[in-house]
Amino acid sequence: ACDDGEMVIKFSHVTNTDKHPKGIAASLLQERINTEMNGKACMEVFPNSTLYDDDQVLEAMLQGDVQMAAPSLSKFEQFTKQFRIFDLPFMFKNINAVDAFQSSDTGQAMKASMTRRGLLGLEFWHNGMKQMSANKPLNLPTDAAGLKFRVQPSDVIKAQMEAIGVSPQPMAFSEVYGALQTGVVDGQENTWSNIYGQKFFEVQDGITETNHGIIDYMVVVGTDWWDSLDEDMRTQLATILNEVSTERNAAVGKVDGDARQAILDAGTTIRELDAASRQAWVDAMMPVWGQFKDDVGQENIDAAQAINAQF
Amino acid sequence: MEVAILFGLIIGLMLIGVPIAVSLGVSSVVFLLVLSDTSLASVAQSLFQAMAGHYTLLAIPFFILASSFMSTGGVAKRIIRFSIACVGHLRGGLAIAGVFACMMFAALSGSSPATVVAIGTIVIAAMREAGYTKDFAAGVIANAGTLGILIPPSIVMVVYASATDVSVGRMFLAGVIPGIMAGLMLMITIYIMARIRNMPKGEWLGWGEVARSFGDAFWGLLLIIIIMVGIYGVPGLTGAIFTPTEAAAVAAVYSFIAAVFIYRDIGPLAGKDGHRNLTLLEKPKALVTAFFHVDTRNTLLDAGKLTITLMFIIANALILKHVLTDEQIPQKIASAMLDAGLGPIMFLVIVNVILLIGGQFMEPSGLLIIVAPLVFPIAIELEIDPIHLGIIMVVNMEIGMITPPVGLNLFVTSGVAGMSMMRVVKAALPFTGVLFIFLIMVTYIPAISTWLPTLLMGPEIITK
Amino acid sequence: MAHGYKAKGPVGRFVNELEETIIAFILGMMTLLTFINVVLRYLFNTSMIWVLETVTFLFAWLVLFGVSYAIKTTSNLGVDTVINLFSARVRKVLALVVGAICIGYAFLLLKGAWDYWANFANLPQTTGRWFPTGFEEMRATSYRAWYGVEDIPLPEILRFLEPLMNEGEEYEKLPRFIPYVILPFGMALMLFRFIQATVRVWTGEATSLIVSHEAEDAVEDARRAHGQGD
Ligand code: NA
Ligand code: NA
Repeated sequence: ACDDGEMVIKFSHVTNTDKHPKGIAASLLQERINTEMNGKACMEVFPNSTLYDDDQVLEAMLQGDVQMAAPSLSKFEQFTKQFRIFDLPFMFKNINAVDAFQSSDTGQAMKASMTRRGLLGLEFWHNGMKQMSANKPLNLPTDAAGLKFRVQPSDVIKAQMEAIGVSPQPMAFSEVYGALQTGVVDGQENTWSNIYGQKFFEVQDGITETNHGIIDYMVVVGTDWWDSLDEDMRTQLATILNEVSTERNAAVGKVDGDARQAILDAGTTIRELDAASRQAWVDAMMPVWGQFKDDVGQENIDAAQAINAQF
Repeated sequence: MEVAILFGLIIGLMLIGVPIAVSLGVSSVVFLLVLSDTSLASVAQSLFQAMAGHYTLLAIPFFILASSFMSTGGVAKRIIRFSIACVGHLRGGLAIAGVFACMMFAALSGSSPATVVAIGTIVIAAMREAGYTKDFAAGVIANAGTLGILIPPSIVMVVYASATDVSVGRMFLAGVIPGIMAGLMLMITIYIMARIRNMPKGEWLGWGEVARSFGDAFWGLLLIIIIMVGIYGVPGLTGAIFTPTEAAAVAAVYSFIAAVFIYRDIGPLAGKDGHRNLTLLEKPKALVTAFFHVDTRNTLLDAGKLTITLMFIIANALILKHVLTDEQIPQKIASAMLDAGLGPIMFLVIVNVILLIGGQFMEPSGLLIIVAPLVFPIAIELEIDPIHLGIIMVVNMEIGMITPPVGLNLFVTSGVAGMSMMRVVKAALPFTGVLFIFLIMVTYIPAISTWLPTLLMGPEIITK
Repeated sequence: MAHGYKAKGPVGRFVNELEETIIAFILGMMTLLTFINVVLRYLFNTSMIWVLETVTFLFAWLVLFGVSYAIKTTSNLGVDTVINLFSARVRKVLALVVGAICIGYAFLLLKGAWDYWANFANLPQTTGRWFPTGFEEMRATSYRAWYGVEDIPLPEILRFLEPLMNEGEEYEKLPRFIPYVILPFGMALMLFRFIQATVRVWTGEATSLIVSHEAEDAVEDARRAHGQGD
């Protein structure tokens, strides 16, 4: 609990505190702020959507009722459509390319792109590359055609699913496991950590390692609150947050790999794609780029591709 | 300390006659404004999100609507006829049939008071005619009606699942065996009492009547199959067709069709003033007019009204939950309890006591919304199965419904039987005792709740 | 229907009819939309993606609109065992206190609802923590009419809102101020009905703000619900 006189920073997120990349990072941030800024500031973390879910938290932040959050990047598409670049399929080769893009001038500019809407991005947090799973083997995109996939609410992801003939189904996250298990929906896409954490692998035929997209987060604050802090406080917070982000982003590959291994150990089939079948997925999904080119900006796509070439 | 004042305020307000929903809401708002920096706007957000952000709670209006169509549409009376045909000839047969009918209606309806209304109105009158005392009849039905929330589908289970993020489908499965057990225990108790007190018995009407009455009730009972197959699928035949929430909507639409087009007790095809029912061929425009018929509108309105009053309580309980979370109360309580070295057995005793006391004042769903987040983290820490905990809570809520001062089933039974509430309480007491023994069994034998869901859906996964 | 409640005068009857129709209509729409989506998904392997969110909004509308109707018809649950111990005089005083508390509650919620909704409609929130002390000065971040919902596309018929509310920018999704408007509207109605209910207690027309379970109404209700009444 916070002491009197300390500035309270409420951080609301939607995962557990000790297994999910976001939860681990938030817990580390809390620990460091509460020791290093003891007496000045104090962070309270509200995990597992106990206070707000990803959508409500941004409303609450604009209202001033919560100070920090790290929603999935899809949530910022409402604020600036540029963020759709992170949902476009096969935009980034791997998580290192994502990291490099986010650290580039283009990526850094995106953090400040929502200030007119009242939000300021401070750091990107990684989760990982998305994989596909269904209740039947998926090797080629044609295997997925005609199936029903649960998707996050995002126009890009809907379009991506429709491009491979999958019927996208919106569904409350808490219902997904049951729906996959009983066959109300056939499949889903997610990162290794999420597939492991939510135990989706138990109720799917196997996981296809498509690495076709990413799930990442951005730590945001309300501009009104951030601007109201005195300079020292702001600098110290930003520094701690930056160090935590660097540390946890560097470690995310391990969290991801551990989750993948645990899924394998549980006896689940993981299907790796050879070059030809991977190309089939790329070809099937690429038309989606054209659909959202104007929203994202061709120059941003070019920047991402230039970075991809280095990895 | 602040928490004690908060809960004191809530109870105090309730006792002077402030509506339950307002007692919860106004206390939370005052608590929030005094103790935190959080804005009043956040209360409005919680209020809106109570409905818009809790997709699973949508099952509530749909299940309420389904049971409205089922009881106005004549399903209840057909189920009762079938029950009487099956067990009416035993000593105390009509009472046993009443319990059996409550069990079957409970499998169609998600609510206990709805079960009492549907079955009680007919069975209590019939029992009086057959020579049972009014008190005995009312006591039996008030108790058997509580099975409405234990036998799936169940509104209270939906609320628990929503508050703790466990699977609704799994909760529903977990209620099947306890529901049947509780029903059997009530029937056996009645049978023993009937033998001792030499209560009336009906005539055996033959297998023909069993078959005929089953045929007549078939379209209503089919809904049980539709819900179960829809939610769980049939191995080798079909996967599941809908989520539990969608199942509720399908149940509502099916009940409408059964009531208006099959049984035709209500709607445009219903025969007025003793005339026979029309067929769809005689009045094909009914396919359209049924949707706008005054009976349809009134059933929708009744279900809507019940939904509104129930959800108003739940929404205010969610405001309270938000305020408690905002002040980090659950963590404080959890760490206090764990620091005290609480073991699973003691913990379950405490949960039962809290719920039994809380159940005296609160409407079940609202109470669950408040208590579940407080005790759930501790239960996980103590490795108590969340599904098991859920069933314990539901059985507690059943008992709360038949104990004063706030007992929804008491209110409804006193209305249906035309008796004072205290007289119903006394009448219900012996059977409440049975439920209490059942609660102890359910609390300390987890397998009663967890065996079936584990068998059909695999072991419970805890993602925390 | 409206058991136990009789509307007075032609206006009262019209309003009552309207309220009841809206409640029945919203619940009917929620059910049908959900059902249709199940059919589309299972039989036609497709679905209308906006349905889920629409139904959750309708659910919120049903309850937030309907609360005032529940107050009007005295359908809210409460505990009357204790107050029934007192004399009629004391009961009336208590009921007036209860009315005052309910009015205070509705008032706070109305302020909260306005504050929550206002910025989504480019309008100023009120200042003051408990009671409105004026209107805020609008800052750049106070204009949030650009904020759309998650899944429901903007119906073409509402395109006229774009120049009015969104600086001419295109809305992809329904702006949030539309679903959220039920908050200030519903809470204002709630306040109005609580005031009315308290006046009814004052004039002796009613004895409490909660449903009284010992009343003959309940019996009547149950009978009628079962189709045995008239
Ligand atoms: Na039930
Ligand atoms: Na009670």
